[in-house]
Amino acid sequence: MRRFFIAFASVALVVAACSQAPSGAPASGTPAAADAPVRGGTLIFAMWQEPTTLAPPYLNQTIAGLVSQVAVEGLTRTDTDGKYQPVLAKAVPDVNNGGVKVSADGKKMDVTYELLSGVTWSDGHAFTSADVKFTWENRMKDPKVVNRAGYDQIEAIDTPNDTTVVMHFRSVYAPYPVLFQFLLAKHVAEKEADLSKSDYNQRPLGTGPFKFTEFVAGDHITAERNPNYRVKDKPYLDKIIFKSVPASEVAIAQLKAGEVQAMWNILESQTPDLEKESAIKLAITPSPSVERVELNTAQNKDMTDPTSVHPVLGDIAMRKALVWATPKQQLVDKLLFGKAKPGSSGYSQGWAKYTGPPQDGYDPKKANDELDKAGWVKGADGIRSKGGVRASLTIVTTTGNKTREQVEQVLSDEYQQIGVELKIQNQPSSVFLSGSWSAGDPRKRGTFDLDMYATSPDIDPHNHIFTRSHSSQIPSAANNGVGNNYTRLRSPDVDKAIEEGGATLDLEKRKVAYNKAVKAINDSYAIIWLYERASIDAFRSNVGGWQGNVWDNITWNAGDWYLKK
Amino acid sequence: MITYVLRRLIQAVPLLLGITVVSFAILKAIPGGPMAAYEGNPNITDEDIRRLEHALGLDQPVYIQYLSWLTAFVTGDWGYSYSSHRPVLASIVERLPNTLYLMGTVYVVTLLVAVPIGIFTALRQYSWFDHIVTGTTFAFLSTPTFWLGLLLIIVFGLQLHLLPLGGMATLGTDFDVVDRIRHLILPVATLSLVGIGRYVRFLRASMLETLTQDYLRTARAKGLVERVVVARHALKNASIPLVTVAALDLPELFVGALVTEQIFGWPGMGRLYWDAATRSDYPVIMGFLAVAAALIILANLAADVFYAYLDPRIRYA
Repeated sequence: MRRFFIAFASVALVVAACSQAPSGAPASGTPAAADAPVRGGTLIFAMWQEPTTLAPPYLNQTIAGLVSQVAVEGLTRTDTDGKYQPVLAKAVPDVNNGGVKVSADGKKMDVTYELLSGVTWSDGHAFTSADVKFTWENRMKDPKVVNRAGYDQIEAIDTPNDTTVVMHFRSVYAPYPVLFQFLLAKHVAEKEADLSKSDYNQRPLGTGPFKFTEFVAGDHITAERNPNYRVKDKPYLDKIIFKSVPASEVAIAQLKAGEVQAMWNILESQTPDLEKESAIKLAITPSPSVERVELNTAQNKDMTDPTSVHPVLGDIAMRKALVWATPKQQLVDKLLFGKAKPGSSGYSQGWAKYTGPPQDGYDPKKANDELDKAGWVKGADGIRSKGGVRASLTIVTTTGNKTREQVEQVLSDEYQQIGVELKIQNQPSSVFLSGSWSAGDPRKRGTFDLDMYATSPDIDPHNHIFTRSHSSQIPSAANNGVGNNYTRLRSPDVDKAIEEGGATLDLEKRKVAYNKAVKAINDSYAIIWLYERASIDAFRSNVGGWQGNVWDNITWNAGDWYLKK
Repeated sequence: MITYVLRRLIQAVPLLLGITVVSFAILKAIPGGPMAAYEGNPNITDEDIRRLEHALGLDQPVYIQYLSWLTAFVTGDWGYSYSSHRPVLASIVERLPNTLYLMGTVYVVTLLVAVPIGIFTALRQYSWFDHIVTGTTFAFLSTPTFWLGLLLIIVFGLQLHLLPLGGMATLGTDFDVVDRIRHLILPVATLSLVGIGRYVRFLRASMLETLTQDYLRTARAKGLVERVVVARHALKNASIPLVTVAALDLPELFVGALVTEQIFGWPGMGRLYWDAATRSDYPVIMGFLAVAAALIILANLAADVFYAYLDPRIRYA
């Protein structure tokens, strides 16, 4: 469900929106040495959500990024280790190779990209620095683009020659390499008065291994070999057809029947069934997505005052007890079939990943003792109360998500045993995950006790941790509901650590700062990190060459895929 | 007659207007909205959300939003989808042939099968054939299409491997009539089986009633053979209720079958609406609803006109 909403501005970060796999390296379809790649053939890839558009500026669906990136490339991408790789640039600029120059006062910076020469778009037109500049201009001018984060930090772009781009940033913007991971073709796009309404939206031009030849809404999207692709002998496949199917169950049925050779996004609960099939291989890849339960520390009421105190959850003893009464390992084993890992932070991958002490484990006895000690007394019905306040709470998550509903049942049972009542009050994702103050998202308005959902930070976690944990980011009537700090926790330690992380380009220092922030969040017991998820895709066993990527969708190396004879 | 039709058409205008007002109001009253799709994108700021709301006109008061939709709509500008940014009219026109193809086949198959069965069961009331048909039609009549469709997929697609699991054609192959027909069988069967049950029930009931009329006794007394009595005298009158039902079903030819198209991954109008509804894509939903409402009003009018043709006693002035 979560993946419905996860979307990314940049290609490589169109992260396979799930998270952490059990262990080890991402799965791959790399065959034994004897099994050399074969050229030719058509692969049908089932997608059970449909891209509405494939044009980079308007992409807001994981599936759209997955499809788009077989044709559309950018300056850089992120490999599975979280390292930036050049794609259409000769190198990823940084301070060491002279590509990034910070001004003397430390307030601005210039980033210079040297582009590969001789690259053409799939229509044969030359790719130049003007395309990069145009991509930025479109981003800043077009009112319908999905986001401008980062691009709005650029003051101007110079293109001294066809293969050099100089970006003048108005600030020291650390995540600069994740910008420009999708590029627009100026010679086509500039002719459109409104790009969003043009054919480019369905069939964007690219420099990648494939080019889009057909977009039949509701049915399929065809990508054929790009004859002008710069890499010799690639792609191996003649064609990839992305087939729109109505549900993941249907995609699985068609995969089993051999009507499709690959599919996207399988739920953990569907894996046991597929693992029995010898003709199917699962691509299980760790992902940055972490499922969380947030505890509202302010009053549960509409447009809650961030300085108010929740009568039950305002007591840190209660919050500790709930953390200790949450059986993460059991959830992972029983409900997620071992395809996830118990969580300890929202940052499970990449250079910024949390490596501090894990969040406290399952210990219901300790939880009971803590509540006894804090003066929460069990009543006749087994539910505790203190000073006339009954320990009765509600939890909200998205309706219709079976795994989440099962997790709620387990939590309700477990919390009952420590004398805390937990009632389930789910809402449709169009409300609960709307992230909209006016649409009444209970997290924004403060009308919840416990919530449950997943988030996926970028490889650079700054925006994520800042908007979700900094005390300035508590949504309230006073700030028109800006920010995603839904626990309403205000901690000077957390604020300070986050600010430190954003103030330097030194990755080592930043990592330490973010780790400090997570540790401080965990010490306040306001978030229960349930589990780190994996992204799971599947292939028929006659497909070779695929490889999972933590920070990207499974199609990131589609040029290497082939059909075995 | 012409004045009657004209008057009805004029009356339809305020009715349509009312329908669009109510639809728009209901859409806006549903919690959530088109911006829900942007949650979870770690790169989207609240500022981006506000900019997009402004670009789509969602920051205007609801009545202004409605009026600007309406003025554009009547001048032929149906707006653009919030999610695909494509013109609404183009999206509808693109799906229409697929739905006509599916629903037209369903319509023809249903009538071709239902009419003879309906007549025959009435003529042989309480025969073993009648009992079997009555039992079967009742069973299918009470079967939801989402269940029947899935059942057919499981049996004929997954277990017997006789028919494809969905879609309009096998992807990656050239046009092939046999392949098209194979893809058509299951969705048509799903919709027809339910529809046949309905039509048979209507026709059987009205045939039974007609067969006991005095004028049929007169016809027989004149010495007409039974075939003529049934086909010429009974059927024409008995088919009036069926014609009404069939005419009222005509809009489905264009509107499609929401659930069945979804189950079989059929790229028709039903799926277009389904997807638009899940995305709160107001312009597409409104365009679709306006078309559907207009068709239903027209179908009602058509049913009334047919009535007059079939039953000379009915006169409109």
